[in-house]
Amino acid sequence: MRFAGLIAGLALSVFSAGALAQIKLDFNRLIDTAKNLREATKEIDEQQEAEIGREYAAVLVGAAPLVADDELQRYVNRVGRWLSLHSERPDLNWQFGVIDSDNVNAFATPGGYVLMTKGLLARLKNEAELAGVLAHEIAHVVRKHHLTAMRKGKGLEAGANILSEYLAQRGGSAVAKERLVGGMKEVMLRGLDKDDEFEADRMGVVIAARAGYDPFGLPAVLQMLQSLNPKDSALALMFATHPDPNSRLDTLEHAMGARLDRFGSQPQAAERYASFVRGR
Amino acid sequence: MKMLAAAFALALAAASAFAQETGYAVRQTEVKKEPFTDARTVGTLEERAQLKVLSRQGGWVQVESGALSGWVRMLSIRTNSGQASVVSGLKSLFNVARSGSSGTTVTTGVRGLDKEQIQNAKPNPEELRKLAALAVTKPDAERWAAGSPPLKNQAVEYLPAPSGAQR
Repeated sequence: MRFAGLIAGLALSVFSAGALAQIKLDFNRLIDTAKNLREATKEIDEQQEAEIGREYAAVLVGAAPLVADDELQRYVNRVGRWLSLHSERPDLNWQFGVIDSDNVNAFATPGGYVLMTKGLLARLKNEAELAGVLAHEIAHVVRKHHLTAMRKGKGLEAGANILSEYLAQRGGSAVAKERLVGGMKEVMLRGLDKDDEFEADRMGVVIAARAGYDPFGLPAVLQMLQSLNPKDSALALMFATHPDPNSRLDTLEHAMGARLDRFGSQPQAAERYASFVRGR
Repeated sequence: MKMLAAAFALALAAASAFAQETGYAVRQTEVKKEPFTDARTVGTLEERAQLKVLSRQGGWVQVESGALSGWVRMLSIRTNSGQASVVSGLKSLFNVARSGSSGTTVTTGVRGLDKEQIQNAKPNPEELRKLAALAVTKPDAERWAAGSPPLKNQAVEYLPAPSGAQR
C-alpha cells in the first residue's frame, strides 16, 4: 500500500516537473493540479455521475425543449426503460426524452439521461429501430464514455480540473459549474471517441436482442442515415461527431457476422410505433 | 383542412415507405428465395446492381432487380438517397399533429440543434423537471413489455471487438 503510494507520488512528481516549467514556479497551483488529476482519474461515484449527467441534460433541454406530448414521451420512456433493464446498469435513474428539434441526432449523458430529436424519431420505421437508437445511447452510459471524453477535454489537465473542481465543491460554486458546462458543450460539439461509437453500436444491437427486439433495427437506422444527403444542415452536428454511417455499418457487420441472425424474427413492432409516432 | 388531408395522404405514403426505397448492391450478392442462408439461391446481383427494397426481415431485405426478386443480406446493399418525399411527409405530419394537439393553427417552424445553439444554450431546470416526471418505473416497463407484441427476454453475449480495434 505504502509502496503503491510511493509510486503514485513519483508519477505525480514526474507530472509536476512538466507542469512546473509551464506555470513558472507557482507552487500552489502546481499542488492543486496534481491533486485534481488524482481526484478526477479515480472512479467517480454513481451519485456524482448522476449530478454531472443532470447538468449535462439541462444544457441539452436548454438548447431544445421537450416535445409537449406526454403520451409520446411516456412511450419512448417505456421502450428505453425496458432496454435499460437488459444492460449492466438496470438500477440507474434512467430518463428518456424527445426534444423539439428537426435535426437528426440522439444524445446520452452520464447517469442515465437519453435524449433524441423529433427529427430522428420521424425518420424511423418501427420500434426495433427506436430500440436500436436508444440501446446505442444506453451503451454510452453503461461504459461511461462521456466521462472519458470530458477527462480528455482541452488536454488531460484541464479536463481533470473541470471535473474535480465541480465535484470538490458539490456544485456549490457558480464558476465551477460554468466550467463544467463548458466542458460538456465541448464534448457535445467534438463528439466521443470513434472506438467508443463503434463499441456502442456493437453493444446496442445486443441490448436490443436481449430485450426481445429484432436486433437489426440499429443497422437499418445506419443504412437510412447513410442514404441521407450529408450536406443537409439537419445532419451537420451528428455527422461531425460520429464516424460516417458507412464505416459504422462495415464495422458492425464485421462484428455481427451471423451471430444475431437467430434473433432476426423478433418483433419490429412497426404498428405500435406508427400508432405512437406517425398516427398522432 | 386541406392541409390535414394532405397530411393523411402523406401518412398513407409513409405506411408503404419501403415501396419507394431504391438501392444498390455493394458487392456481388446471392439472391435467396427466402430470408435464410440455406434457402435456395435464385440468382446473383452484380456489384452496383440497382434494386428496389420491398421489406426487411431481421438481417435480410426483400429486393427486386429487373426480373430477379428475392432476399439478400441487408448489409450487402446500401439504400439511395431520395426518400426525401417520405421524410418530409413524415415531418410535416408530425408538425401538423403537434400544432393540432396544442390547439394552435401555426405549423412548427424548422428548429435546429446545431453548434451555435448548443454553444449558446443555458441550462433549463424547468424542462429537466418535466423530463424527470415523465420517467417510468421498472415494474411499469416490465408490464408494458408483456403487451402486444410481447417482448421476451433473451440471454445474449456481447459481440467481441473485431481484431485490430482497441476494445
